[in-house]
Amino acid sequence: MQPQPTGRTFDPADEVDFVVIGSGPAGASMARELTRQKFDVVLLEQGRSFGPADMEHDELGAFITERWTNQSETQPQTYRQRESDTARRRQFVGYAKAVGGTSFHFTGNYWRFRPIDFTEYSARGGVDGAALADWPITYDELEPYYTAVEWAIGVSGLANAAPGEPPRSRPYPLPPLNVTGPGVLLTAGCDKLGWSSMPAPMAILSREYNGRQPCHNCGFCLGFPCEWGAKSGANFTMVPEALRSGRCELRSECYVHRIETNAAGRVTGVLYFDREKREVRQRAKAVVLCANGAESPRLLLLSANAQFPHGLANSSGMVGKHFMFNGAALSRAEFAHEINGHRGPVVSRISHHTYELDPALGFVGGGGFDFRFDVPAMIMALSLPASEPQWGSAFKHRLRSWYTHSLLCYAHTTSLPVASNSVSLDPELKDAWGLPALRTTFREHEHDLRMYRWFQARGRELLDAAGALRIHDDPINDDPGFTVHLLGTCRMGNDPRTSVVDKFHRAHDVPNLFIVDGSSFVTSGRGQPTLTIQALAFRAADHIGQFAHRRQI
Amino acid sequence: MELSRRQFIAGMTAAGAAWLAAGVACRERSPDALTHHPDTSAEGETGTLTHFNADDAADVEAAAARIFPTDDTPGAREAGVIFFIDRCLTTFMADAAPLFAEGITSLNRSVATRFPGVTRFAALTDEQQDTLLRSIESTEFFGSLRFATIAGMFALPRYGGNRDYIGWKLVDQQSVFEYVPPFGWYDHPDNQQALLGRVL
Repeated sequence: MQPQPTGRTFDPADEVDFVVIGSGPAGASMARELTRQKFDVVLLEQGRSFGPADMEHDELGAFITERWTNQSETQPQTYRQRESDTARRRQFVGYAKAVGGTSFHFTGNYWRFRPIDFTEYSARGGVDGAALADWPITYDELEPYYTAVEWAIGVSGLANAAPGEPPRSRPYPLPPLNVTGPGVLLTAGCDKLGWSSMPAPMAILSREYNGRQPCHNCGFCLGFPCEWGAKSGANFTMVPEALRSGRCELRSECYVHRIETNAAGRVTGVLYFDREKREVRQRAKAVVLCANGAESPRLLLLSANAQFPHGLANSSGMVGKHFMFNGAALSRAEFAHEINGHRGPVVSRISHHTYELDPALGFVGGGGFDFRFDVPAMIMALSLPASEPQWGSAFKHRLRSWYTHSLLCYAHTTSLPVASNSVSLDPELKDAWGLPALRTTFREHEHDLRMYRWFQARGRELLDAAGALRIHDDPINDDPGFTVHLLGTCRMGNDPRTSVVDKFHRAHDVPNLFIVDGSSFVTSGRGQPTLTIQALAFRAADHIGQFAHRRQI
Repeated sequence: MELSRRQFIAGMTAAGAAWLAAGVACRERSPDALTHHPDTSAEGETGTLTHFNADDAADVEAAAARIFPTDDTPGAREAGVIFFIDRCLTTFMADAAPLFAEGITSLNRSVATRFPGVTRFAALTDEQQDTLLRSIESTEFFGSLRFATIAGMFALPRYGGNRDYIGWKLVDQQSVFEYVPPFGWYDHPDNQQALLGRVL
């Protein structure tokens, strides 16, 4: 892997064409696409630009000491279940804090949505207590951008490998990754139950692509950066391409805390703290906010002023509302022979047999399954099932058996948009910069809990069919514990009274402010949002560029 | 402890916070404060202690060696876990230092009460040590000790423990950057053929 190329340098006093906030799959793609359309971009990222020496198999750093992620000491959070509760300090939301955003350490599951994901409300109807709605765009409108992303970054997979896969205009640019033991066992279970299965679409290179190395099967994948540069994360793809255009400056360790507006209600630029905590004002003709589904709404709320007293772009009151993640149902299982899931990609095969469910079940949404390597040794040792010995010789020997002979059955599911599930500013707690901390209000909808349990039961059937010796269900309850996949908090829509951005991601209230990331989602899909986030960014950049060329911003 | 496994499985991390706070006094610090000392494990038994005195280190090392005993394979003692714990308590687990100090004192008080004539935990037999540790299994001190021992078995050797990757070898994890398939029994082409009637 290569260090980031040097980009261009702008003066903060320059009114650049675009400031893009966040360098994850959305923001970095936005920068890359806008520079290709000949616009100048300042790309601001709160995290560091990690180089080759930082790409270590460091389990302590990845999972305990927050080496590459948002940090509890400087960025404390609070959490409560209900709006009537007082929130207590707790880290509830996680994301990679690095150039490349969460694609810096992702697993790389790159599922497309299906057409039903955009129209489920009109197809299936609502659910009490959920703010379901159709998306203002369709699968067909997004399809060219799914394809563009897959080819731009390098996604491995097999087109049309199972019934029900959505239509596509091009096959995958790369063949599937190596199949692993968990992938073989998933397939065995699916075969026996008569379910379909297919190679997992993964944003990891199976062959050399655009001068980048393929996956070497090292196994330190989920939660780790890739020392080979084989993960098609934004840090290895979109960011260097934007910088090489000569039209983009990347400023890492810059924490934007206010988007500024003028008397006309237009954005004039942003205020941020640089790595020395100096406040800098960068002027811009337009701002694209891609800071993720928790930090984007937080920044809009932090940007409240006399003209926008409830936060920027928030005349609807919808900023921060409908916070969604993806549901999960997990079971661990032991098998007779060595699986060695710690070698190779985390996921190699998936099943979408349960993507669209029989309406008679009474569920809105659905999900998909993978069998995968569970977690690396330290975390596995800390979290063996309670029925296992927890220390001593027996523990030591059981741990080795778990590490080599077990896998995790993971059901990824829909979760419903609920208005009271939200991101807001904590009224008391401040971060290390003196700004109000992120407060999450979240409680699982009863429908979702029922669906997770249904999926866990199907998972047990799959494991049984695959020949599992013993199965241990992880508990399901209305507090998910800790979450990633941050969705829904600045939802898209045609009606300014019920949504934050329009179908081109322009804020209804502010003509030169665009918001593109997981916050744009109207519904949660089935489990793997990143490809859709990135496709939305490609599509938005296409339209934003056209607006700018026509002076319609 | 099982409750919030999802935070790790979901792809993350850290603020292990809620999860660790349950029984493990482990406070996360900003990156600058996280810097551990350079790796000294390559020097074998000569790793130096900066936090514990020799007696306390001997007790903690003995307790860690009951969590990961030396049996047919090496354990916490051979992996130099004590040096990892010693560094933890001056870096990211500094908040747990008083807990360890009180825990060691309290442990040795029990030693003196239950085994007259013995003053230090490290001087007990393995069986006596196990008996005592079982009696404190539900304490915060034991939870933190167990956490730090496990972390020290598997964290990169430059953090002070996991000497010569002893911890990784225990679970058949190698320090390599590449594997070539087949990775295990099930993905071997012959076994795929037998299981699935085809090779994926």
